[in-house]
Amino acid sequence: MRRILTFTIAATLIGGALAQQIRIMGYGGQDPAILVRLLDEVIGAELAAEGITLTYEPLEGDYNAALFNALSAGTAADIFYIPVETAPGIIATGKVLALDGLFDTTPFLDSLVEAYTVDGRVYGVAKDFNTLAIHYNLDLFEEAGVPVPNEQDTWQSFAEKLRAVAALDGDVYGACFPAGFDRFGAFAFAAGWSPFDDAGATNLLDPAFVEAVTWYTGLVREGVAIQPSDIGQGWTGGCFATDDVAVAIEGAWILGFLRNEAPNLQFGTTLMPVGPSGERGNFLYTVAYGINTDSPNRDAALRVLAALTGPEAQQWVLEQGLAIPSRAALADNPFFLEGTPEANANAVVFRGAADGRVFGFQFGSVGTDWMTPVNDALVAVMTGQASVDAALAEAQRDLDALLQRAR
Amino acid sequence: MRNHRSDTVAAYLFLLPFLALLAVFFLYATARAVYFSFTDYDLFRPPNWVGWRNYVSLFSDALFMAALRNSILFAAIVTAVQTFLALVMAAVLNQRVRGIGLFRAAFYMPSITSSVVITLIFLWMFQRRGLINYLNESLQRAAPVLLAFLVLVVALQALQVAWERRRSLPAGWADPALLVVSLLVAGAVTWVLVVTGVVGYRDVAPVDFIWLQTRDSIPAGAPFWLSVPIPLAAIMIQNVFTTIPTFMLMYLAALQDVPRSHYEAAAIDGANATQQFFRITIPSVAPVTFLVLTLSMIGTLQMFDQVAVFGDAAPLRSVVTLAYFVYNRMFPGAQTPEVGFAAAGAMFLALLTLVVVLLQRRLVRSEGV
Repeated sequence: MRRILTFTIAATLIGGALAQQIRIMGYGGQDPAILVRLLDEVIGAELAAEGITLTYEPLEGDYNAALFNALSAGTAADIFYIPVETAPGIIATGKVLALDGLFDTTPFLDSLVEAYTVDGRVYGVAKDFNTLAIHYNLDLFEEAGVPVPNEQDTWQSFAEKLRAVAALDGDVYGACFPAGFDRFGAFAFAAGWSPFDDAGATNLLDPAFVEAVTWYTGLVREGVAIQPSDIGQGWTGGCFATDDVAVAIEGAWILGFLRNEAPNLQFGTTLMPVGPSGERGNFLYTVAYGINTDSPNRDAALRVLAALTGPEAQQWVLEQGLAIPSRAALADNPFFLEGTPEANANAVVFRGAADGRVFGFQFGSVGTDWMTPVNDALVAVMTGQASVDAALAEAQRDLDALLQRAR
Repeated sequence: MRNHRSDTVAAYLFLLPFLALLAVFFLYATARAVYFSFTDYDLFRPPNWVGWRNYVSLFSDALFMAALRNSILFAAIVTAVQTFLALVMAAVLNQRVRGIGLFRAAFYMPSITSSVVITLIFLWMFQRRGLINYLNESLQRAAPVLLAFLVLVVALQALQVAWERRRSLPAGWADPALLVVSLLVAGAVTWVLVVTGVVGYRDVAPVDFIWLQTRDSIPAGAPFWLSVPIPLAAIMIQNVFTTIPTFMLMYLAALQDVPRSHYEAAAIDGANATQQFFRITIPSVAPVTFLVLTLSMIGTLQMFDQVAVFGDAAPLRSVVTLAYFVYNRMFPGAQTPEVGFAAAGAMFLALLTLVVVLLQRRLVRSEGV
């Protein structure tokens, strides 16, 4: 005890001259607890020795609104989360420090660095990332007498397997398909569609996009898949945990949820099915740390950024099953080969980032508003209120108006 | 004279804390918002004066027009329905019946429950496989049985009343004693009919009415300004349910002041309950009606929370109101905030509320008093 005390005092004396408090703003939910543990178990002592203390300020509710407010009022923290889907808007405020020459981003995965690069300058360091994968319920497939989904599956063979499970019982479904581009988009990419052309325009009437919508909504119309809200669930993970839905198309974030909500569910994980383009499609979801241009403790903030995204911290985050590390060097991590369902799921999610047509979860300057017309179209088709062609024609009109306004 | 002046000073001193708050959080904020509505301010770059541009572009914005339509319809329909129902409920609860306190408390419950919680519960009820569609389906399924029961009740009642009258006894068509007998006998007979299989439950297709995830509106094919999006109708139902009790309480207070002798005099003159309600009750509570209409108008024109909680459950254009439009432009999905545009929308909403309340004040005053 005395030794610890002496150590603390010594650290305080040494660091006294530069004792600095760094504030971090990020999501609420489980993130505050994770950061406290990360500090306690991995990086806290080292930073304290340098006289740096951290405080985490969770922004509950609408993170985007709260952060914009804090940035404009000058009350934003030294370091804050930059979600990839809102990155262009946040960077455009001019309140995010460009890291060129200040921080070495070469050890990080290229696609992640790219998502935070504007006009050749890097503004954020991805803390971790996620992609979509097929998580399947082993018992349901066994009961239906069909093999579980695998890496060779195409849309057709994947759908056949889901049909077989859905045929088991009226209350059993092959999958939950939400009417949202944030999941559906991966299938559109697998059909060979790209969200923006070279001129920055979006074409929803592209045959590849139409094909993907037809397939995705068709399974719902057929009764093989169902919208989460129709069985009283808020998301695909909730559906999967009921044990009545054969697959969930989600990222590694589902693992913690399953651990708590369905600890006895036997599941496996595989890559997304191969689409008509001959490739898989996927989203890259990520959150980065950015530094406030107005931070009075810029050097300390850079030091904290290095610790937060350092190899030790990332290894810890991975082993806790929290997220997939953003450092390229951790790709061959032994943890991925442990053979447990969770380790396997993490490995599949990691591989998903580099397999096929992968796009960042990002929509340029219009942000997540871009998805609204597409989501409305998906709902209209899934609920039988409009044909695919009519719904997409309307979505294209709305989207054009939206992009027009943003210019 | 000097004394009077020091009184005034004292009064202002007491008012000072409140006036200071008002000045900072209301006057100053409003003045800033008015100024911003004439600029292209985005929270980060210094504002540039753009004149009336924001106001002009409001009216070429499809979402704003939808918000305007939704707000006006919402305010008109909800205010009319809830004012009338609140009065009816207050009249019912104004009876001198044993245990009326229990009913008053029960009827007031929706108003003290959190609006967010109620909205979440209604969201569940409005799902495609939610309670409302289920009740609808059950009703259709049981239609033959219910119909048989109703026909039996009416027939039995008619029979009994005719019988009583033949014996020259005074019996009204809704005589309570006879009605109890009719209900019991009809219930028993219906049960026998169901058991013997004479009438049965129908097989009906599951009701799949889409309340939330739809862009359809009612009445179908109505012009833009008169069509109510179905998800907005769902919010209307919920809003009426939650706000009636507050206004009911005001009416109840007013009704307690209406002298019993008016009703007694009317009864002696041969007025029935309906006539008493329209000729005595409604005119007596006219001042409260004005208050209720004003509060309801202001509340409904500024409705925000329920739309916010509905969130992604319904298409934005089908539920957006003016207040939510302002928020949506202030914090758009990941874009830089359009403060100028949002402020223009807010100014429009403030003006609209003012005009509506002034108009209604003229109308109701000239009629009621």
